[in-house]
Amino acid sequence: MKKVLLVLPFLLIGAVVAMADHDDHGHDGSKKLSGVAVANNAVYQKECGSCHFAYQPGLLPKRSWAKMMNTLDDHFGDDASLDPKTTNYLKNYLVNNSSDNSLEYKRSKKITASIASNQIPLRITKTPYFMHKHNDIPKKMITQKEVGNIGNCIACHTTAEKGIYSERDIKIPNYGGWDD
Amino acid sequence: MKKQLALLIILGALSNAGGFNPSMQSYINGLKIEAKKSNSNFTDFSAQRGEQIFTSKHIGKRGKEISCTSCHGSNLTLPSKNAFTNKTIDPLSPKVNSQRLTDVLEVQKWLKRNFNDVYKREGTAQEKGDVLYYIKSK
Repeated sequence: MKKVLLVLPFLLIGAVVAMADHDDHGHDGSKKLSGVAVANNAVYQKECGSCHFAYQPGLLPKRSWAKMMNTLDDHFGDDASLDPKTTNYLKNYLVNNSSDNSLEYKRSKKITASIASNQIPLRITKTPYFMHKHNDIPKKMITQKEVGNIGNCIACHTTAEKGIYSERDIKIPNYGGWDD
Repeated sequence: MKKQLALLIILGALSNAGGFNPSMQSYINGLKIEAKKSNSNFTDFSAQRGEQIFTSKHIGKRGKEISCTSCHGSNLTLPSKNAFTNKTIDPLSPKVNSQRLTDVLEVQKWLKRNFNDVYKREGTAQEKGDVLYYIKSK
């Protein structure tokens, strides 16, 4: 009995660690990573991150990135055109690091799995996984001026630049944390 | 004709609106030659005309009324916010942001994009020069 009591705290700690959003190993032994891979490409940060949050390539499948990079002159209504060399360079970067090429990352895997194979979403916010995760958020939290739109990840996900979108790191301006 | 162009370039270099770096100055000189070609009365770019281009409203690419100030604000020495994404834009004024108007490729990229977004067409050489003089003067 005494032995069981001594072990109990360690078991509890073990359970908590397993539940947390940390790196883990899957049943097949392959490395499982939380979140999505960091977008650490300087050209990408400069060229795409000057107008909006530099969404990690692991948030969309390669077919989406390829289509987007072929239509930069009408990028959600704006002209985001780049010279051909830069366009091609960034297209390769995005495709190589796309969600379907980053299945070891939890969010990339879930996003990839949520999109029907005949769909080519251009907005991350229109992928089924994203919509499912955000559908309970009251509109007023999104339309307030500190956030503006649902694509402004960094406004609420304080660790978005690190590719971490876990619930405990959410801080909605003027409202605070989020409990699903 | 050649003499006129040479004179124009010399005058341009002398009257250089507050000092562009050599590559920017040569880009601006090229714009002047182009502007002169389509407007024989053209003498130099004008910050005043540039202000009109920068602040006037137009039905833009998205079908909504927009001006350059929608995203860049009307005080170019202050940071502003992209009206569509909420992302902060560093000040345009070279007086507070020394990176501005120094890289010809950057300048060309943004002039092309932003004229398309606000005017639904690319800017003429004269319009581009006018806007650059306006930003430089702020």
